[in-house]
Amino acid sequence: MKSRLSPFVLSMLIFGFAFLYLPIFSMIVYSFNASRMVTVWDSVHSPTLAWYLELFGNDEILEAAQLSFRIAAVSATGAVILATLAAFALVRYRRFRWRGLFGVLTTAPMVLPEVITGLSLLLLFVALEQWTGWPPGRGAATITIAHVTFCMAYAIVVIQARLATVDRSLEEAAMDLGARPWKVFMVITLPLILPAIASAWMLSFILSWDDIVITSFVSGPGSTTLPQLVFSKVRLGVSPDINALATILVGLVSVCVAVAGAVMMRTERRRLRDAQIATGAH
Amino acid sequence: MTVNPVQSNGGASGPYVRIDGVTKRFGDFEAVSHVSLDIAQGEIFCLLGGSGCGKTTLLRILAGFETPSAGSIFIDGVDVTAVPPYERPVNMMFQSYALFPHMTVAQNVAFGLRQDGVSKAAAAERVNEMLAMVQLEGYEGRKPHQLSGGQRQRVALARALVKRPKLLLLDEPLGALDKKLRERTQFELVKLQERLGVTFVIVTHDQEEAMTLASRIGVMRSGEILQVGSPTDIYEFPNSRYVADFIGSVNLFDGQLVVDEPDHCRIACAGLGVDIFVDHGVSAAPGAKVSVALRPEKIRLARERPEQRENVVMGSVSGIAYLGDSTRFLVLLEGGTQLQVTRPNFDRHDEHLEDNEVVWACWDAGSPIVVSR
Repeated sequence: MKSRLSPFVLSMLIFGFAFLYLPIFSMIVYSFNASRMVTVWDSVHSPTLAWYLELFGNDEILEAAQLSFRIAAVSATGAVILATLAAFALVRYRRFRWRGLFGVLTTAPMVLPEVITGLSLLLLFVALEQWTGWPPGRGAATITIAHVTFCMAYAIVVIQARLATVDRSLEEAAMDLGARPWKVFMVITLPLILPAIASAWMLSFILSWDDIVITSFVSGPGSTTLPQLVFSKVRLGVSPDINALATILVGLVSVCVAVAGAVMMRTERRRLRDAQIATGAH
Repeated sequence: MTVNPVQSNGGASGPYVRIDGVTKRFGDFEAVSHVSLDIAQGEIFCLLGGSGCGKTTLLRILAGFETPSAGSIFIDGVDVTAVPPYERPVNMMFQSYALFPHMTVAQNVAFGLRQDGVSKAAAAERVNEMLAMVQLEGYEGRKPHQLSGGQRQRVALARALVKRPKLLLLDEPLGALDKKLRERTQFELVKLQERLGVTFVIVTHDQEEAMTLASRIGVMRSGEILQVGSPTDIYEFPNSRYVADFIGSVNLFDGQLVVDEPDHCRIACAGLGVDIFVDHGVSAAPGAKVSVALRPEKIRLARERPEQRENVVMGSVSGIAYLGDSTRFLVLLEGGTQLQVTRPNFDRHDEHLEDNEVVWACWDAGSPIVVSR
C-alpha cells in the first residue's frame, strides 16, 4: 500500500533537508564564483575553476593537508591497536579486579571537555620535556599522541561491541584443536572483529582529521594542521579558496560514504543469498 | 579408507581416563564436588543430569578450559591437570558446534592438522577422508552458514576427529537436531565410535539419548555423581529416589520397612492400602523409612481379581492416554494414590478398559525397587 505524503509532512521534509544542506550547497556554488568578494556573485566570469587552481598552487594548504592526513592515519592506527587490546581485556577477562572502573576510565575521554584534555596533555608534554628532554618541543609527534588518546575511547566502544558478539566457544574450539592463545587471536578473533576494527579506524581518522581544540594546545610552530590553517585564514576574512577547499573535502567524504555503503550493501546481499542456499540445502 | 584405531601407550590395565577427587568452585558456588570416576578405553560414557548439575563443567575440566580447584585428571596414565587445552590429546565437539564462520568446511576440518604443522597436501587428503566418513563429499568449499543443522553437526564431528584424538568430548552432540534426525544420528555416532575405537565422553540432559548411546551412564546432581552404571543398571536398579525419578517414569511410594529377612521384605505403604512384598532383603534397620519405586510397565491390569496373594491393589481407571505403541493408564486407588501403568498394545483388538472402570493392578515381587529416602 502506498501512502501519500501530506502537504505538512512534505514541507517539513523539504525544510529539514534545506536546513541541513543549504549552507553546504551554497558554499559549493560560491566555490565556482569568480568574484573575490565571497558574498557577491560575479555573473560575468562565473563559473570558474580559478580558486581550485589557486588551491593546488598554495604550498601552505597542501602541506597542512599532508600533515593532517599523516597525523590522522598514524593516530587512527595507534588508537585502533590500543583499543583492540583494551576491548579484549574488558570483554574476555570478566573477572579481574576493578574491571568496572577500567571500563569507565577507558571511555571517559569521550565526555571530558576537549579544553581540559588539551590543557592536561600540554602540561604533561611540557613537564616530560623538562624531566626527560622528550618530546623536544610540540609538533606532529605530540599532536599524534594527543589524538591517539581521545580516538582510542571511541574505538574501544566500537570494537568492544563487536567482540562481545563473538562466540567464546569459537576461540575455545581453536584452542582445543591445538592453537596457542596468540594464534587463536590472530586467526579466529581478529578476522571476526575486522569489520569493527575497520570502522573504528575510519571513525578515528575522521575525528583526528577535523580536530582543532586539542590540536591547538599541543601543536607547535611549523606543525599546522588543515583545520588550524582554515580556522586562522577565516579569522582574517573568508577567501573564496576556502570554499573550494571545503568543497573538495565534502566531495571526498561523499565518495567515502558512497563506497562504504556500496560495500556494505553487497555483503548484505551476499549474506541473504547464502542464507537462501542454506535453506535450500535441507 | 585408513582410519586407525587409537593406540594406548601403556597403562592398558588401568583406566583410560581417571578423574580423581575433582572439585570446582566458582566463588562460593561448588559446581563440581569431589567427583571420582574411571572411564575405560573405547567406552561411551554419558554424563547425565539436569541443567546446572555440573556435567558441562566436568567436561570443560576434561578439555582443559577449566582448572579444578582440587583433585587431578589422568588421561592414559598421565597427569594432565595443569596441561593447557592445546596440548591435551583430547578434542571436543561443542554444543553450538563452534564452526569458524569465516572459513570453509575444508578449512574448518583442516584447522587442527594445520596447527600441528601438517603440510597442506597431507591435510587435504586427510580432510577428504574425514568428509567422506561423515558423508559430506562435495561440501568442501561451503561456508558454515550455507549448511543445514545436520550438516553442521557432521562438520563439527569431522573437525573434532581429524586429529585422531584419544578421547572425544561431546557437549549435547545432538541437542540442536530435530527428533527424526537425532534418532538416525544417534546410531551413526555409535557405529562410528565402534569403528574408530575412540573413547567418548558425552554430556546430555536427555535420558533417552544417554540410554541409546552410552555403555555406561553417570547420573549427576548438584555437582555430585549419584550413580554410575550401564543403562540397564540405572533403569532397573537405581540407587536413590532421585535417580529412579530422573530416568523414565516411575511410581514412588513412601513407606516403612516392617519385615526384613534375607529372602524377602515387606514395606507398609499408607497411600497404597496394602504392604509391598519384595522378593529380596534390603538389610536396613528395622522400621527404616524407605521409598519404593515401581516402573509403570511392570504393573499388570485386570478386570478380575488375579490369583496372586501379595502385591494386588484395587482401583478405578481415572485416565487413559493412547500412545500408539502403548497405552498409559492412571489408576486411582482407594487410598487416594494415583498409579501410573503402561500397557503395550500387542493386539489391535485388545479388550479396552474404559474410564472409571474398576480394575485390579498387580506386580511381581521382583519388580519393586527399594531405595532410601
